[in-house]
Amino acid sequence: MKRALWICALVVIAVVGITTTSMAAYPDKPIQLIVPYGAGGSTDVLARAITQVAPRFFPQPVVVVNKAGGGGIPGRVDVVKAKNDGYTLLFGWGSGEDLVVPHQRSLPYDIFKDFETICRISVHSIVLASPVTAPYKTLPELVKWAKANEPVTATVSTKGASVDITLLLFAKAAGFKLTTIPGAGGAEAITRLVGGHVPFGGNHPSEVLPHFKAERLRGLAVAFDKRDPSVPEIPTFKEFGYDVVTAGSVKGVAVPKGTPKEIISYLEKKFKEIADDAEFQKIMKDIGQPVLYQNAAEYTAWFKAAYDQYGQLIKTLGIETK
Amino acid sequence: MLDFSGLLLGFEVAFNPVNLLWCFIGSVLGTAVGVLPGLGPAATIALLLPISMKMGSPVTAIILMAGIFYGAMYGGSTTSILLNLPGEAASVVTCIDGYQMARKGRAGPALGVAAIGSFVAGTFGVIGMTVMAPPLAEFALKFGPPEYFSLTVLGLLLATYLAGDSPLKGLTMAIMGLILGSVGLDPLSGAVRFDFGVPDLQSNIDFVTIAMGLFGVGEILINLEQTEAASILTTKIKNVFPTLVDLARSGWAMVRGSLIGFGVGILPGGGAVLSSLISYAIERKISKHPEEFGHGAIEGVAGPEAANNSAASSSFIPLLTLGIPGNASTAMIFAALLIHGITPGPFLLKEHAPVFWGVIASMYIGNVMLLVLNLPLVGVWAQLLRVPYAFMAPMVMVLTLVGVYSVNNSVFDIWVMLVMGIFGYLARKLKFDLGPLLLAFVLGPIMERSLRQALLMSHGSFGIFFSISRPISAVLMGVAVLFVLGNLIAGFRAKRKAAAA
Repeated sequence: MKRALWICALVVIAVVGITTTSMAAYPDKPIQLIVPYGAGGSTDVLARAITQVAPRFFPQPVVVVNKAGGGGIPGRVDVVKAKNDGYTLLFGWGSGEDLVVPHQRSLPYDIFKDFETICRISVHSIVLASPVTAPYKTLPELVKWAKANEPVTATVSTKGASVDITLLLFAKAAGFKLTTIPGAGGAEAITRLVGGHVPFGGNHPSEVLPHFKAERLRGLAVAFDKRDPSVPEIPTFKEFGYDVVTAGSVKGVAVPKGTPKEIISYLEKKFKEIADDAEFQKIMKDIGQPVLYQNAAEYTAWFKAAYDQYGQLIKTLGIETK
Repeated sequence: MLDFSGLLLGFEVAFNPVNLLWCFIGSVLGTAVGVLPGLGPAATIALLLPISMKMGSPVTAIILMAGIFYGAMYGGSTTSILLNLPGEAASVVTCIDGYQMARKGRAGPALGVAAIGSFVAGTFGVIGMTVMAPPLAEFALKFGPPEYFSLTVLGLLLATYLAGDSPLKGLTMAIMGLILGSVGLDPLSGAVRFDFGVPDLQSNIDFVTIAMGLFGVGEILINLEQTEAASILTTKIKNVFPTLVDLARSGWAMVRGSLIGFGVGILPGGGAVLSSLISYAIERKISKHPEEFGHGAIEGVAGPEAANNSAASSSFIPLLTLGIPGNASTAMIFAALLIHGITPGPFLLKEHAPVFWGVIASMYIGNVMLLVLNLPLVGVWAQLLRVPYAFMAPMVMVLTLVGVYSVNNSVFDIWVMLVMGIFGYLARKLKFDLGPLLLAFVLGPIMERSLRQALLMSHGSFGIFFSISRPISAVLMGVAVLFVLGNLIAGFRAKRKAAAA
């Protein structure tokens, strides 16, 4: 009898406990940032910079989960399949897989129907760089050299991605023939460039900055609409009169479709606070990534424009699709 | 002037208590798997790959794996000497004279000389690395796509020809590896290949899965077949400290072994096994007592044991500076570095100096630990040979299953691993060496990528691999061509001789 009572009491406590937890404010368990690339890449480094300051902004731990391989697609599939309860976030929303790849092949999800945008945190612009040993030191000199030595080659991280498109666009605008040599991502492309095996190449600022400092590489131009704050000394293509402006690779945050509005605005607000945080900005400066925050509404519109721009470029450049 | 600041930084990292502990664990584990026939360093590192991912720092993980790798070179000789069974592949030749010495009641000095030789050569190898790796890292920048292609071709050729008992079998395995390596995304265009509509295959087959299947499960299966191993020599091991006469005879053998091992270890496809064979052949040729070889010549133990240790250290040089692993074990360490977001290659030294020097410094420490572990305690290790396999096998099996699942949380990977395990078992039964398969699996994508990149660079001309403007590539290709021609001519002559007889 007494025992039954105890059990009842326990059940009541348990039920009350469960209901209180489910009613408790979001977030009440760790939040996962799914990085659809390997550890150590620029997206991963950015995500880890966030987790360093996150404890001051979130009551729950924010953890990075790397889901590498498959060209970034499997990680995105994981997010689409995850519960839309705000505990699984896609980190790197706006990379080549979202803005460029959908124009070229079919994907197991619809980027406009299966995701909900939270915010933009950073943009990795594209820098044209050449070895310091090269005979040209400025963009006009490079164009002159390229025209005299056609067809020339250049390194790009992967075929058909933002860097590849940007360089091809430049060659078209400047009027020389270019063969781009793709490889296994940014790090490998840099090695070939630093070794002087190709005359020039395209990379993101965080990848080339250490080599600028070591005086192995020289940055000639940035393919952005204004100078990139992480490499302010490098002029834009526009300044030389070439209309080479691309969105680069964008690092934003998204959640699966159908996530409650309150959760979205909560996350939007928290990431805004992080973007404004002095310590976070210091870390970002050290890793050579600019803080370029946009809220959900701004970024959604910008995302669509960048997506359409890449679609247009792929068509004009005649890059094969499917 | 030599700059020791890097090495000092390395010792700072290596003397961190956590790293020191894992270096010790690696050395102990390495000795253990070296002693145990059947479980080699490659299999052990494969088993530990998933665990290493959960380790916070890459340097700790690599220190552990490196410890297992060179630790096994120490332990392997114990089994060879006491059981006439090689504990791992690099100690095959140690059996010849080591076991004979043991039969004559000189097991102690044989084990002692093996341990001392390993220490001398291991330390020599690490010193060589300290001095040579930084300039080589600079030199490595001269390696562009054509050079990478030529180097991987040569490496794979050497590994294929030197593997097991028949080059044809080695070639078969290497081609298997190349095919498996091409499943999934095309390295240049990102197109999906050979997926047969299976989504899991689109993201390339995982290296850990293949390695654990072939080396983990495969070895368990083959070992289950063997009924109790040969009985251990029951004689008590005494006088592990060799006499002055022994030392005088084996001293130069150790020096020669160290040099041979270092040189061979740097070569792609070379490594510990080959260097021990070369060392043994040389010792026998130049010995004043050639008649003693095969009947317990101490040089026949000292030379090869030194060579395999020196090679184990120097095979880290191409791995760390070029990002080209030369054998199955370093291929695993290559994978472990990538898992931790570190790309082995010319910039490793600059961008991850603590990792680079930490690992090198840990090897100095590890070699001292191993000398202590193996000289006075050799009797304890011999006891390890008494653990029944019935206890070992299930434990290792559970570890592999849990380990492979934990990498990607994928059940598909478990199936791939089991299929690979059965394949590995059959291959072993038919005396196919699995080393070339694993090496080709790792090198294949590098080879394909650099071939296509080089051809893009040259606008389609194969001349880029042989041109004077790319001397490194031309020399590597020349060696590869000569090597194949030489082998073909030798084979042809042997056939003619056989036909004539």
